[in-house]
Formats: sequence, C-alpha cells, structure tokens
Amino acid sequence: MRRRDFLRWGAAGLTVAAAGRPRVAWGRGRAPWMLVPMDEVQADHLKAYGLAFRSLERGDKSEWFLNYRNGSFLLPASAAAQRDASLAGVTTVPIDEGALTEVRAEIQQNNMDAVPLEKVPKVAVYVPPNATPWDDAVTMVLQYAGITFDKIWDQEVITDRLQTFDWLHLHHEDFTGQYSKFFLNYSGAPWLLEMVDRNQRMAKQLGFANVPALKRAVAETIAAFVERGGFLFAMCTATETLDLALASVGVDIAASYADGTPMDPNASQKMHWERAFAFQNARLELSPAIAVYSDIDGHQVNAADRRQPLGTFKLFNFSAKIDPVATMLVQNHREVIPDFYGLTTSFMKQSLKPGVTILADEAGAPWAKYIHGERGQGTWTFFGGHDPEDPQHQIGNAPTDLSLHPHSPGYRLILNNVLFPAAKKKELKT
Amino acid sequence: MIDRGVRVVLVALAAASGVRAQQTPDPMNRAFDLERRGGYAAAAEIYRTVLKERPGESAALSGLERSLQPLNRLPEMAGDVSRAVAAAPTSTAVLGVAVRVWTLVKQPDSARAVVERWAAVEPQNEAPFQEWGMAALSQRDRETARTAYQLGRARLKRPKALSVEMAQLATLEGDYANAVTEWLVALRTSPTYMAGALAMLGQTPNDRRGSLLGILEERRDSLAFRMNALLSARWGDPIGGFKKLAKVVPRANREAVEQLQQFLEEVRGQNGHEGRLAQAMVLEGLAQRMTGAPASRNWVEAAQAYAEAGDQSSARRMLAHIANDPATAQEVATSATTTLVGVLVEEGKMDDADRQFRALRAALTEDDRDQLTRRVSEGWIRAGRLERAESLVVADSSIEGLAVRGRTRLFRGDITGATKFLRAAGPFAGSREASTERASLLALLQTIEEDSLPALGAALLQLERRDSAGAAATLEAIAKSLPSEGGGAELYLLTGRIRAAMDQSVDAERLLRAAVEPKAPGTAAAAELELGRLWATGKRPTDAVAMLEHLILTYPTSAVVPQARRLLDSVRGGVPPG
Repeated sequence: MRRRDFLRWGAAGLTVAAAGRPRVAWGRGRAPWMLVPMDEVQADHLKAYGLAFRSLERGDKSEWFLNYRNGSFLLPASAAAQRDASLAGVTTVPIDEGALTEVRAEIQQNNMDAVPLEKVPKVAVYVPPNATPWDDAVTMVLQYAGITFDKIWDQEVITDRLQTFDWLHLHHEDFTGQYSKFFLNYSGAPWLLEMVDRNQRMAKQLGFANVPALKRAVAETIAAFVERGGFLFAMCTATETLDLALASVGVDIAASYADGTPMDPNASQKMHWERAFAFQNARLELSPAIAVYSDIDGHQVNAADRRQPLGTFKLFNFSAKIDPVATMLVQNHREVIPDFYGLTTSFMKQSLKPGVTILADEAGAPWAKYIHGERGQGTWTFFGGHDPEDPQHQIGNAPTDLSLHPHSPGYRLILNNVLFPAAKKKELKT
Repeated sequence: MIDRGVRVVLVALAAASGVRAQQTPDPMNRAFDLERRGGYAAAAEIYRTVLKERPGESAALSGLERSLQPLNRLPEMAGDVSRAVAAAPTSTAVLGVAVRVWTLVKQPDSARAVVERWAAVEPQNEAPFQEWGMAALSQRDRETARTAYQLGRARLKRPKALSVEMAQLATLEGDYANAVTEWLVALRTSPTYMAGALAMLGQTPNDRRGSLLGILEERRDSLAFRMNALLSARWGDPIGGFKKLAKVVPRANREAVEQLQQFLEEVRGQNGHEGRLAQAMVLEGLAQRMTGAPASRNWVEAAQAYAEAGDQSSARRMLAHIANDPATAQEVATSATTTLVGVLVEEGKMDDADRQFRALRAALTEDDRDQLTRRVSEGWIRAGRLERAESLVVADSSIEGLAVRGRTRLFRGDITGATKFLRAAGPFAGSREASTERASLLALLQTIEEDSLPALGAALLQLERRDSAGAAATLEAIAKSLPSEGGGAELYLLTGRIRAAMDQSVDAERLLRAAVEPKAPGTAAAAELELGRLWATGKRPTDAVAMLEHLILTYPTSAVVPQARRLLDSVRGGVPPG
C-alpha cells in the first residue's frame, strides 16, 4: 500500500451521541467485537500491537481508535483472536454493537478518529545477517510483540529487493561508512574487526571501491524506496548518517581509515542538503577519533565537553480527524517520556528543514526527539536514541528484556510506526 | 564551564567585592553583582569600560572572560587580550587569560608566545604549559596539548615534568603503553596520584583491559604490579589481583599495611564469593602485620569473611590466633566465638558448637543471642536431633523462632503443628529463599488431610540433609498413598521438581505428568509450568510451547500464568535468553 493510495474513509456509523466507557458484553452471549484498550488498564501495551497485527494477518478487518483510550484497537472477537489475546496476556474488553455505537459517538464528538486497519504491512529491518534481535530496539520489540519481519542488508537493498516491502526500519547503521566512528577508539576489538571485515567484503562483492561508497549507494536506494511510496522509520545514528550520506554526494566526509583519504576539511560548506530527508546546514565533525558526526545531534553523547544530560521529551497533540498520520505516530498512554541516549540522541531544531513535523521535543531545549516528513510518495519518521528502556546504553550492556517493560511508552512509539502502514487513511483536509 | 584558574579568581574576587561593596560602589562591584545575577552581557560591558581605562587590570579581564563564556562570545576578547598583555606583560593572571583565549580562537602561535613569556616570568612553574594544554584539550585539540606539555618539559629541563598531564592525554588517546609509563613517573613523584590513575585507567573499555594489564605485567616493577593488582580487582578479579599484590608487598610493615589497606578499600564493596575471599586474604595479611587490638579485629573480620566465602577451615585458622592471645579484648573475643560457633555449625560439629554457644550466650546481646540460637537450632535440625533443636527455640516468639519451630514439627511429621507455626511465622521471616520455601511447604501441608505423617517428615528431613535421591524415592511412595486432591498431586509435583533438579528428566516428566490432576487444579497448573521448563531446557521447544499455551488457556487465573507467559516468550525468542 502506498501513501497516496489511501482510500477515503467516512465517518459512517458515528451517529449516536453518547460518551463514557463502552458497556461490556460479558454474559450476553459472545460479543462480536473485542476492544483492546491502550490506557492504564492494558496489561501489555507492546503485545497489544502484535495482537492487532496478527488479526490483520488472519484477514480480519480491524480499526485503530486514535486518541480513544490512548489509541485502542477494535478487533473482531473471533475464537482465534481471543485465544491469541489470552496467550499474550493482552487485556481486551468484549463489546457488542450497542456499546460500539456509543464508542463511535464519543469518537465523533471529540479529538478522536477511527482508522481502519486493512493491510498487513510487509516489514523489513535493515540489519547485518548475523545480528541478534537484541542488537536493535526495533527487532527486539517486533520479536517481543510477535510481529513478523524480514531482515535485509546491503545486498538485498542494492539488488532492489526493497520494492517488495511496505515498511523499512534502519537502526544504528552508519551510512557514512565509518563503522560508527568507533574505528580508532575500539581498534582491535573483535566485534569491530568483524564489522569492518563484513562491510569491506560486502563492498568488494558488490563492486564498490570502499565501504563509504557502498553505504552511500544503499542510502540512495533507500531514498528512492521512500520516493516511490515506502514507509521509512529510522532510529539512533541511522537518522543522521542517512542524511549525511545523501547530502555528501561528491564530498569526502569519511575518515581515511574508511576510504583511504582524509575527510575534506571544508565538507560542511560543500554538502547538498537538498538531497537529505530531514536536515540542512549542519556542521560536520572533523575529528576521526570522536564518535560524533555533526552538530545535528543535540546531545553529543561521545564528545565529553559537549555532552548534554538527558531530560524528558513530550509528545505533541495533533488533530486526529485532520492529521491522522501524526496522530497515529504519537498514540501513547504517556505524554512525557524519559529521554535515552544513542549515538544520535536528538535533532537540533536549527538543523531541521522547513516542513519537517516535530512529533516530540524536550521543553526548553533546542532539540527535537521525534520527527516526521514526506518525500515523494512516501513518508519517513526519525526517532533519536538507541533503546528507550536503556537510557545510557553502553557497549557490552546486557540486552533489554521487554517482558520487564510491557508498558514502555518509548517502545510504543516504535510500534505505532510499524502499524501505521496498515492504516487506511482519509485524505488530509489540510 | 568555568575552569580552574577562572574559578580561583572568582572566589578571590567574591571575597574582595564583599568588603568593597560596603565602602564605595565601583564599576567592578557592579559588574560582579550583575555577573552573579546572570546579567552577563551588562557585566561584560562594564568590565570592558574598566579595561578601556586600565587595559592591564587582570580582575576586569578575568571578569570579561567569565561573562563572555556563558554567552558563547569569548572570541570577541581577542582585542582586549592583546591590549592587556601589552599593558601588563608580566601579570600571570593576564597571561593565563591570554593563553586560554588564543587557544580558543585557534591562534596557536600567539598562545605559544604568551606561554613562553609566562615561562620567562616563572621559569620553574609548570602552570603555563598546564594552562595551554588544558585549554587545547577543552577544544579537543590533543595535538596542541601534546605540544604544550612537550614544550614544558623542554623549557623546564625536566623530562619527568607534567607527567600527570601526559598520562591523561595518553589515556584519552587510548595509548595505554605511554599512559602507563607516564602514570608510573607521576606516581614516583607523588603516590597520591594513585587514585587519579586508577580512576582514569579504570575506564578502559572492556576489550582493551587485557592488553593494558599485559603492559603493566611487562614492566616488571613493583609499582606497576600494584597498579595491575588494583585494576584487576576493580575489573572483577579480586583474587587474581590479590595474588599479584602479594608478590610485591614490601617487607617494611608500614608500607605493606598501607598497600594492603588500599587494596582492601578496592575490594570492600565486592560481596560475592570471590570478593569475600579476597577480603579475607587481605585482612589476614593485615592481621599478620599488626599487634594488639587492631590485629585481633582483623583476625575476626578475616574469619568472618572466610566463613562467608565457605572456607570454614581458614576461618577456624584465623580464630585460633585470637584464642591463643590472652590480651584479646572481651568484645573481640565474643565476636570471634560467635564466628566460631557459625563455623562449627557449618562443619556439622554440633556438640562443639553447642558447648561454645552455651559458654558464650551470657556475653551476647539479646539480638545476637537469638540469632545464634536459631543458627545452632538449624544445625541440630540438619543433624537430625529435632527435640534438641526445638528445645533451643521453644521460648523464642519471634517470627524467625516460629519458623524454626514449624520446621522441627514438620520434620517430625506433625502436620498440624507445622502448619500452625509456619503460618504464624508468615511470609517475612528470614531470607527471601527461606520465606519462599516456607510458603511452598505451607501450600503442600494445607492439602494433606492427616494430622500426622511421620514418613513425610522423615523424607523432608532427608531432603534437608541433601539426600535428594532417598527423599525423592520416599516422597513418591507417599504420594501414591495419598488422594490426588489430598496432597498426592502436590507430592508428585515436589518429587518431580527434585528429580528435575537432579537432571533425571525422564523420571521428572513421569512425576510431573502424575501431578497434572484435574482434581487439584492449582497443582496441575504448577506442574504444567514445570513440564514447560523441563522441555524448554531439554531442547523440546515445540512441546514446551504447547504445554505452556495449554496452561495459560486452561488455568487463566492461576498464579503461575505470568511465569508461564515469560517462559513462553523466552522459548519463542521474544526476550533475550538467560
């Protein structure tokens, strides 16, 4: 499904004026519907997304009630869905047609909307073939929620397998081809040696002169995927480096250890920001030894004298009926969420292109945390930071066990993005 | 961030302005007040006005630097700095500001010229070079920092000068060989740098630690060995660290004690088995080098640490030192005997333990006495002397005492009495492990209809005495004799768990399946969870998933459902292993 292909969806049926919680239908025979509340009563917010996803996989027609009980889902109460909910430990409320009419009326009268979920998005995650799920927040939460996905890497991207997917996620890949700029500080570390070797072999195999050249080509292909209507979601350093790779055509921004020549000292002045998704006019970090790419990131976690402390970020409120896309992306039971570091933690507002939608930022700080925009027929969403439940995230830390964080508001934002391509959307009124 | 030099001037200025403010208002006071209230731009203007009249006024120049820094406008100071240096070419305060500003605006030649001038004013002082290096590092310019320090060594004609700065620079660059060399030089100048050296080197990434320790090893130098020992301990190898230290502890008592105490502080917070063992070894080393009360205290602490690490014979060896010393203070002797009783209980020497305890009990505080009484009582339980065990706690009405009485009744087969005391003890007595075990026992006992079942008590005592195989055989036989809902299913479950813990998976599966009994649904759910665990660890994930799904769907309100879901996630790969 492509963004421009979204069909009109009217508010038919939203006619009865009533407010409050739906009447539950226990004891009156099997109710035809199952509401998956996403407010504080939900026992496992993350698995609730998996439940909705698998319902789609079974061919059920579902709905996403934006802003209704913090973004609840309405699923047909089939035996399979009930079994699935019980096994996953997801809280559901059976409701009958009468109660559903009341819900729809409440949605109609408030800043809420009901968005049909109709198509199972085909999900791809860009990770090296040998990566474990625990290396990446998105694969971790997809695995936990039980959402199926394919792993792809450079070879699949370059050979244009991307067109078989609806949604692509990028995590902490360094699209400048500089191995996350860990090359000097972690030289000799087995994991780094393996990363360098794997990337160099892939570059050679695909006929590129070096890793930065390969990664730039991958970035270009990803940009083309979005142009054609794909959904892109990126986190951590993939956000910043994807744009740096795209904007640096004809400019050497890679250190000599990556491509054999030093970085152009005047690279910042030569960048072609019109090619980037989100950022512009950034100043690039010239030192190859500092694991920082530019001044796009507000937190600068690896620059001791520039590092900023973590605060909290606040989700913006959007009009559900006018701007359902942004509304979908911020569905949550928490408005204010503790921040978390990544190689790229946040995005300086001064570096954002005009037209970029800020979905969340830190009050009083010059940076945004969560941003969204369109490109061609597709959309992209960038979320700063590495792991919402591991705020300091350091190399060698134990992986996050999401069964200990079933209500994680940060991970919910990731899952909003996964389900967003399943939604059938009304044409925007603005 | 206001750096060290600026901060010193700020404090001095604060003191001075406090006095002057009461006399005549002058522009410097006004500027300083504005600065304190955060009016940096206005303060900077006043400092500038002062500098127009007196360009070499160091307080105004420093004030201007402090005010422009938070405004991110320091580069504007270049002109003020040039005029100040021309007006006061020998003022070290002015020269300090000049070094920082020239470094900030990337004028290394100017910065160097000022440093040279400052060095000419104070030819033996390291400060000009330190200031330059620090200013460069604050700009992440390591090359200039290195130039500053090397120039310092050349000008001072002391190749070992500025070694701390060179060591920090090398550490920042990950050049551990040079870092070690420089730290060793610095430490020979002043041993007080050891804490700083450990703090910096201690942050070495995991994957570089081995090579750093290797570099220290190669130096074959007692100072390097000590650093090696301390870093090894810091990085999770306290015993290895102690062994390295032991090779180089000097003969001289005072130095040896200092070094051992420094190591003890390093491992003090490590309370695992290895940490406690290392602490015991260091305390023993300290005790050997001391006399009188300090030695006695260390012998006792060493004994306690050895005992907690499970090395009872070493604990006893430590205590012998105190027993042979008639000068030992009463308080220390009491502590030593308490430790000794604990050691004897652990060794199963109950007659000796009991005798020592009876001789000691009058000297103990009430809390210590009760605690030791229960420990001895537990020892008698493990020895099978249940009446003796109960006689010790019969007057103890604390929840811990009630728990011990409940256990003695249980092992005698008195189901009613055991239930009464264990229930009275509640879930909070003793350790978490003990309270969990008590809750499980209560769950078992509550299903049994008989008031007395000596065979069950005997079997559970076998289990307590670590005869798992004998206990399992007896418990299975008892389970067969009881109705499913009257304790039979619970006993099959317990026996199945014991067999699973013994890696006897076939028997465990047979017994757990027997525990899945519709007449005892609570037990059935727990048994299905155990079967799920057994198959998950036995590489039968498909069977485990089917069993766990059955459990969740069949017993949705069971207390074990959350555990079943977690295990299901784990088997399906939804959460990290472990």
